[in-house]
Amino acid sequence: MKKTESKSQVCPPSDKPTENDSNESINLIEDVKNLPPWFQRDFNLSKKDQELLRGYLDNLDDEEIINLYYQLREAKEIRNDRYFYPNMQILFGTPFEREKDRREQRIWAEKYEAENEVIQWYKDAREKSCVWWVENHIIARHCLNSCMSCGACSALCPAAEFFDYNPRIIMETVQEKDEQLLVDLLKSDTIWYCYQCGSCKAKCPRKNNPFGMITSLRQLSQIKGYHVHSIRGRQQYAARHFWGGNLWNRACTLYFRNVESETHKDFGPRFEAYDKARDDFFTRVGACPDSEGVLSGRKVHPETLDEVRKLWQMGGALYMWELIEEAAKNQAQEWGMTIDEYHDKVSREG
Amino acid sequence: MNLPMDVFNHEQRESIWKRYVKEIPDNNYFLTLSCILGALYPGSESMVPKVYDLLGLDWNTNPSARSGWTCCSGIAYHGDIMPIEATLLTVARLWSIAQELGLDSVTMSCVTSFGIHCECKDLYEQEPGLKDKVDRLLRDSCGRKFEIPKYINHISDIYYHYRQELKNNHMKFQLLEEKTGRPLRVVDHVGCHYSKLFPEEHSLGGTDYCEVLSGMAQAWGGSSIDYPERRHCCGMGFRQCMISPNRGGTMSSVLKKMRSMAPFEPDLIVTNCPGCEVFLDKEQWAIYEVTGEKYFIPVITYQELAGLLLGWDPYETVGIQFHTVPVEPLLDKIGIPYDANSPWVNCSVPR
Repeated sequence: MKKTESKSQVCPPSDKPTENDSNESINLIEDVKNLPPWFQRDFNLSKKDQELLRGYLDNLDDEEIINLYYQLREAKEIRNDRYFYPNMQILFGTPFEREKDRREQRIWAEKYEAENEVIQWYKDAREKSCVWWVENHIIARHCLNSCMSCGACSALCPAAEFFDYNPRIIMETVQEKDEQLLVDLLKSDTIWYCYQCGSCKAKCPRKNNPFGMITSLRQLSQIKGYHVHSIRGRQQYAARHFWGGNLWNRACTLYFRNVESETHKDFGPRFEAYDKARDDFFTRVGACPDSEGVLSGRKVHPETLDEVRKLWQMGGALYMWELIEEAAKNQAQEWGMTIDEYHDKVSREG
Repeated sequence: MNLPMDVFNHEQRESIWKRYVKEIPDNNYFLTLSCILGALYPGSESMVPKVYDLLGLDWNTNPSARSGWTCCSGIAYHGDIMPIEATLLTVARLWSIAQELGLDSVTMSCVTSFGIHCECKDLYEQEPGLKDKVDRLLRDSCGRKFEIPKYINHISDIYYHYRQELKNNHMKFQLLEEKTGRPLRVVDHVGCHYSKLFPEEHSLGGTDYCEVLSGMAQAWGGSSIDYPERRHCCGMGFRQCMISPNRGGTMSSVLKKMRSMAPFEPDLIVTNCPGCEVFLDKEQWAIYEVTGEKYFIPVITYQELAGLLLGWDPYETVGIQFHTVPVEPLLDKIGIPYDANSPWVNCSVPR
């Protein structure tokens, strides 16, 4: 095989700036220091701002909000000899992006959902019992052989040290195959305490996989809408937009700007100092903050993003996000708050 | 007391050890990177291509606009917003890109990704018909086809594989105290999804005696510390660390580990999991603020450790400024030069 050259600075060929490209970005956001509430990630917006942002977003039709989002996202300028996308850092994690995602994903689901066997399986499962799920879901089936309730999983479980949580009891509950016991479990905080570290799997003498079973139960809880009954469970609405928003818009589950010193005071003063010079240091060590490239912080090419979005739709992720969205909407209505207020509440609760 | 010579059956020990030694290919690596590592320690990520190039290896990651690498979706799967089918498809696409490039070894910098790739491979082996189903879904959604790759290796496996070559031919420093020649005491923290999910198939040394990191540290001059909570999870926990009201569980786990290792006076902690790196490093500050306990033991990735010993610039290449616990005291011990006027030197932690 031919020896390849270093790839650390390679961009897809079509994305390299040409001599004809100007170094002017399209300034669609007039005042970046005083952003309107729909571009803010502040969880403490006033009631007035909440009303203002909801009024603004509700007034945009689907086409308008989607087009505006991509106009903003694709606006670019040349920085360090490559394209840089200045508005990405404004858009991520905002009420504006969440509203765009809700509508865009609904359109995608309608466009591509026909004849999808994965989504159909989950739709059917929603109508069946929880006992049926633990006997049939692919992950649940592979996680339980013949538990003898020895308790090794709980003895070394790191989450069990700090929370009211016991994987042995969960595995026993699953084996009981009692519908009401399962429903109660899925509505409780318990299943959400697991760290997903896999310590239990490593030491189970019967080769069971309790943490895998927890994953399956958590998915069932959301498919049934039971997760909103617990504080830890309804945090999934924040997770759906946090990880789901990053995946959908940036093809990563953690975007490099998510970790801000303002929201991570526990990371200390050195992190705060670094945070102020983040873009500079990223570039200096060879990363690509909101730029074309292949390393950290890069803007994923639209063709790549389009491909993985189709996979996530096909694999049932959009269907699951739709169910999480529906449960959140219903609970927000019940509690007399907007969906934006609900998002902020469940992100801070716990 | 002299132990009788036959207490240890060395042949048997070697035979048991062979169960935990996996095949690491010499070359032709497809590289996939990590959301967490890239977000918090981008220098670690940028140094991987540099090391592959230094070793003269053939590798690739991003052949075209359409075939770009993406996240494996592992955090979303373990964070429970992604059904397994979507994750199987995401990983199948990455394998398809590796095969498009003619590369049969998938290497990743993230331990969650490593676990996810191994879990997908295991599911295909355990569930009849699954490969055909995912094949069909992948073809229908984006026209790709894939095979299960011959090798799945974490990038720390590759560094381990080449540890002697790196030391003998390229490194300028060793893990020795400059003034005394004392081997530095190294705590290895191996990510759970490297060593606990498939200990016999995919972990060098299994769960309990994993040597992917300690092997590197010892080859590079250090000594390895065994301490009671060595195998305890860092508490990252996906939804536990990333949904901020839950982060108390993460900090408690880090505290448990720090209290357990502190009596052994480690000079550094080395990690191969991006999530562990973040929280073992960052939560030492939170522990100080909440409990007043000062540990401040430098926590570095194996990429950073290699980069520093190779003599690469601590700030411009390795990126030690991204750390909450200062790494400069470790550089002083080894005798690695750095800019003493750097603003980071004064932006330190209380002594």
